[in-house]
Amino acid sequence: MCCVDTGKESVKEMAPLKALEAEYPILDPNFQAFCASHGIFSVEDFLIHDLYELAAFAEQQPTSEKLKQGITQVLSIIDTQHQPWLNGMELLDDALYNKHVLSTGCEGIDLLLGGGLREGQLTELVGPSSCGKTQVCLLAASNVATKHMGNVVYLDTGNSFSPQRIAQFVGHIAGRAFDEAGKRIFQRIMNGIVCHSVFDIFTMFNVLHRLVINFPSQLQKGGQVRMLIVDSISSLITPILGNSGSQGRALMISAGYMLKKLAHEHNVAVLVTNHTVGGERGIPKPALGQTWKSIPHVRLLLSGDHGNNVRSISVLRHPSMDFFTAGTDTSAISMKWALAELINHPNVLKKEGEEINRVVGNK
Amino acid sequence: MLGRVATERPFLLLPPLHRVPLRVGNVVELVGPSASAKTHILIQAAVNCILPKEWNGVHYGGLERLVMFIDLDCRFDILRLSEILKHQITEPNGSMYYDEELYALCMRRFLYVRCYDSLEFLATLKTLHYRLQKEKEVHHVGIQLLMIDSIGPFHWVDRGSTFFPLGGNKRKCLSLQSVFDAVVQDIKKLLLVHPMLVMATKEIILGNAYGGDEVKQNKSLLDASGLRNLASNTQQLPYREYMPSVWQSFVTHKILVRASDDHMPIRHYEEHSVYLSEWLLPSISFRDKFTVKDAGIVIVT
Repeated sequence: MCCVDTGKESVKEMAPLKALEAEYPILDPNFQAFCASHGIFSVEDFLIHDLYELAAFAEQQPTSEKLKQGITQVLSIIDTQHQPWLNGMELLDDALYNKHVLSTGCEGIDLLLGGGLREGQLTELVGPSSCGKTQVCLLAASNVATKHMGNVVYLDTGNSFSPQRIAQFVGHIAGRAFDEAGKRIFQRIMNGIVCHSVFDIFTMFNVLHRLVINFPSQLQKGGQVRMLIVDSISSLITPILGNSGSQGRALMISAGYMLKKLAHEHNVAVLVTNHTVGGERGIPKPALGQTWKSIPHVRLLLSGDHGNNVRSISVLRHPSMDFFTAGTDTSAISMKWALAELINHPNVLKKEGEEINRVVGNK
Repeated sequence: MLGRVATERPFLLLPPLHRVPLRVGNVVELVGPSASAKTHILIQAAVNCILPKEWNGVHYGGLERLVMFIDLDCRFDILRLSEILKHQITEPNGSMYYDEELYALCMRRFLYVRCYDSLEFLATLKTLHYRLQKEKEVHHVGIQLLMIDSIGPFHWVDRGSTFFPLGGNKRKCLSLQSVFDAVVQDIKKLLLVHPMLVMATKEIILGNAYGGDEVKQNKSLLDASGLRNLASNTQQLPYREYMPSVWQSFVTHKILVRASDDHMPIRHYEEHSVYLSEWLLPSISFRDKFTVKDAGIVIVT
């Protein structure tokens, strides 16, 4: 048995392969030494090496049989490190039975998207400030909690989450039965919407990690998270983008893939908002632009004039629709209706306000 | 032996990929900005590949082979593929009836895996050979197309990764370069045992890297001399290349797709976007216009 123990550092670095030895005895010190002599110390190192070439080197060693068995073993470990192989039928079953469409409660958006937001997808709402992005988020949260009996996780980055507004929406959607049973139902719906104040991207990563860890226990309790809202994702990401460094962009992409993974694996509809900033020639552009726009499944553009309630919404991208440019008249009309609806029902549940505040206080 | 000869014969894909005959072993890159129908083109080619040439006396004109779709964008929508496949199955029958058995058979020939980062991508490629062998035994047909949608989404992450090369200077660091060295190497090895056509999409930013009004930029690029220059000089690309040269030199064919400002009125209230495709490698000055309809991609003249 030989050992390439050239110093403390290499011992520490070999830990990843070494750590596997207990479970897979074939990855013995001899195998580890062979790998180390080719600059391989962990399973990740195997990934960026040519395994055929490595097997050819193993052939020349006195213990070639055992070394090749070791390589085969590592290969079967690697086989567990990618996502499952699926065929079209399995993929279709998952899409049909696990990925439901959640209506947002905003008829314009639902009409435009053929029913609402799809579980498993990341939907982005782009628009200038005070165009109603947060209102759409609050309404969607209320609707999913009430109509789809799903829990909603709401990441609020700018203290714009309003429990009162949620209560109004929930009261409006659920109807106004204020007997004891009605109050209990109301309370349960309100408990299903959990808001986290998140002011930087690292906090968001933490919240999402905890969310993923808690999914199995939540499923058992029956309160499944069906929607995740980040209002707004752009205010978490723009501060880290800096000028030209790649680190910020790397974090942005990682955040996007983390949201997409969560959406797919836990059948959650993810809704994020992206504000606009002044672009060249004064034309507003999304704060998260070119690099970000390859992330979401669906991009919606919300726009409107200040001073009136007329808004229009259009689909910038959609995986199964051919909506490249601005929305049609029908979509604009639908959205006008929807925002009018929001505005026509202010303070439906004014009386309940204080009680509600206690129920959905920020966590 | 005959089968082997057949697989090596050049074949034509559906529009807009029909201008140049392709062979297994070729690596086609579909380059275009966001929302330029790149994935639609892949789906169309995949449907054509999984359909049989003939089934119960009906001619479908497919390749009757397997497709492996590696989804790096993690945005693939199976419902879209299913819809196009159903269209293709019902069309030759001339009725709304479609063969459930044929549909299921074709759907199972479509193989799929998603990757959330470069390491998962490499783990997929490293073990793909064994998977393809198993699938070959199950389906009694081999693979014809390997699709990667898209090739570059993790390049910022890989560029930003700082993996300290401890444990001696022989250790490779995880970087954009080492990842793509391994990607190209693994695909080359795969091609030796599973002769297939590789198709990869790549998202690019046309013109200058501004947000918002890309549509207008596309237009100006098209109208201006930019494209005509392009046809005569392939070195001058209308976008910034960001993939390592090891990948670039692996690519044998390159097509640029983009959305145009034209719209095809279908019914008075509905219109379809028109896309443009152009071969950059080999350079062909001819440009195709196409739209995406429910039944798939249609060339417009």
